Amino acid sequence: MASPSLAPPPRVNHRRSYARRALRADLLVTLLWASAAAAVALFLASGGAAQFTSAAQIVTSLGIVAGLVGTDFILVMLVLAARIPLIDRTIGHDRAIAVHRSLGKPALYLLLGHGALLLTGYGMSAGINPIAEIGPMWALPDMPLAFGGTGLLIAVVVTSLVAVRRRFSYEGWHLVHLLSYVAVAVALPHQLSVGGVLAEGTAQRVYWIGLYVLAFGAIATFRFVEPVVSSLRHRITVSGVRTIAPGVTSIELTGRDLHKLGASGGQFFIWRFWTGRTWWHSHPISLSAVPTAGSARITVRELGAGSGRISAVPVGTKVSFEGPYGLFSGAARTAPRLAIAAAGIGITPVRALLEHARLAPGEATVLLRASTPEETYLWDEIYDIAAAKGITCYVMVGHRAARGPGWMPADDARRGVTLASVFPDLARSDLYLCGPTAWLDLVEHDAKALGLPDHQIHAERFDW
Amino acid sequence: MRTRAVLGSLFASTAILVMGWQVGDTVLVSQPATMSLAGNDTGTSSLATGSVSGSQTSGESTGSTTGGSSGSTADGSTTDSNGGASDGTYTGSSVNTGFGPVQVAVTISGGEITDVAAVQLTDRDGKSVQISNYAAPILRQEVLDSQSANVSHVSGATYTSAGYLQSLQSALDQAGF
Repeated sequence: MASPSLAPPPRVNHRRSYARRALRADLLVTLLWASAAAAVALFLASGGAAQFTSAAQIVTSLGIVAGLVGTDFILVMLVLAARIPLIDRTIGHDRAIAVHRSLGKPALYLLLGHGALLLTGYGMSAGINPIAEIGPMWALPDMPLAFGGTGLLIAVVVTSLVAVRRRFSYEGWHLVHLLSYVAVAVALPHQLSVGGVLAEGTAQRVYWIGLYVLAFGAIATFRFVEPVVSSLRHRITVSGVRTIAPGVTSIELTGRDLHKLGASGGQFFIWRFWTGRTWWHSHPISLSAVPTAGSARITVRELGAGSGRISAVPVGTKVSFEGPYGLFSGAARTAPRLAIAAAGIGITPVRALLEHARLAPGEATVLLRASTPEETYLWDEIYDIAAAKGITCYVMVGHRAARGPGWMPADDARRGVTLASVFPDLARSDLYLCGPTAWLDLVEHDAKALGLPDHQIHAERFDW
Repeated sequence: MRTRAVLGSLFASTAILVMGWQVGDTVLVSQPATMSLAGNDTGTSSLATGSVSGSQTSGESTGSTTGGSSGSTADGSTTDSNGGASDGTYTGSSVNTGFGPVQVAVTISGGEITDVAAVQLTDRDGKSVQISNYAAPILRQEVLDSQSANVSHVSGATYTSAGYLQSLQSALDQAGF
């Protein structure tokens, strides 16, 4: 019989497991660029190179290439947003979304360029201006759909610009963002019927449809089917809500086979609490304890209106979830020693991470940071784990220093405490940071100043 | 590790682009080859006595009658006024372009080209159809004006033009025009 609670991970050589993960990450990067190159190759393979003969042909050809590469980027963005476990385990949800975001504007520009260049190129061939060319193009089969798709795409990207997004609620923005699926889908018919590159009976057409199936299949599988199946299987309900400090609540959950959720300590789920007032919000919240067969726990601080309401959900509330996600776990280790700094509510994933980790005595050092004694959430539990596993604990309580390193209280700054004095073996350590963005950025800056390479820094910013 | 990702991306992308280029080149090399006058004619300009097929209608009606075959039909009445060209309708060979086969039929009457009808035009995709529909009337008029297949290509419709004139020339050869 398997142990009913989540077994600690087997002891691994962190350097070797990181080497494997880095190789996977490099392969993913290679795959991204290779897919863009493949989009251009599709055009070349259909004899495109010979079309660079007249000005009109060159403009038209560039337009076709822009459309192919832009669409490829959009499909890659869908894959990155699909929360595919392999990608999440390799680069983490944060990085995947960061790459997704960085592709958004280039993809839009390429697709707008696609439209403009083709209208110009075809217009030049026909001897009319690009605006007049819209008429004949509109008359082609599937083209009105493609024009519509472009409009949707503009709406999606514009609402995602930082300045504009702030005016939208998350739900409003997300609803518009879902239109990107429609935009990409309605663009497909014109690629297959109007575009010559993907003509019937060619390998290019097979490859392209394959890309679409892959992207939409990944979204359907990992964003819709898998969460629903997993939620139905584990049947999680709220079994208790406990206020552990002013504004901070631990929500106890029960369910079936929770040790088979596949969660590592430090990971988060996106939770949805099915009461009349809370079901339309979903909340990314880290586990604050490693799940056992029948129970799990999350701890949340009331920040937005949404998290305020979930601290009041009644016992028995049904809970659906997506996850586990994130690389703020033992899976991200690269070095033999472990250094952790957590501030405020950022303690929650650290609590689960330490509980789950198999650690040699003295391997890990933890720095706990709170502005006031009331904000020392879960510290008593951390002390217990530290005592049991031989973890060194430092605590810092008090408002930030006006002078010296801004991430520590004034007293410590005066005593000359530095990151290097807290973590003397930092160079051979993985540094896990979790807390408010402003605080975390300061610590990260100091760590980089000490020469700690990026792959040894694992940061989880708690802005919500 | 970043170096490896950069180099990997560079090599993979280059390899894929070169492969695409090579495939594209073979496509291009094979095109002129098939554009030479088709050898699948059933004999040389057999003078059929049948009636002139219904492609006398002007414009670029995409005749569905002959399909891909490149036989020739002509009516028997011979009025040799142009170096032995007989009156009648001659269907040129089907010429493959990258955007679909092109085949035209030419009608000779009184030693003059009186009509060119498209039997089949580039139709690989929507844009090709649009280009064909745009280019065919222009080519037809130029051919009627110049009374030869020696007219310039329509810009923006290079493949259609080349196929059109090639097929036309083979039809004119059959007619002895």
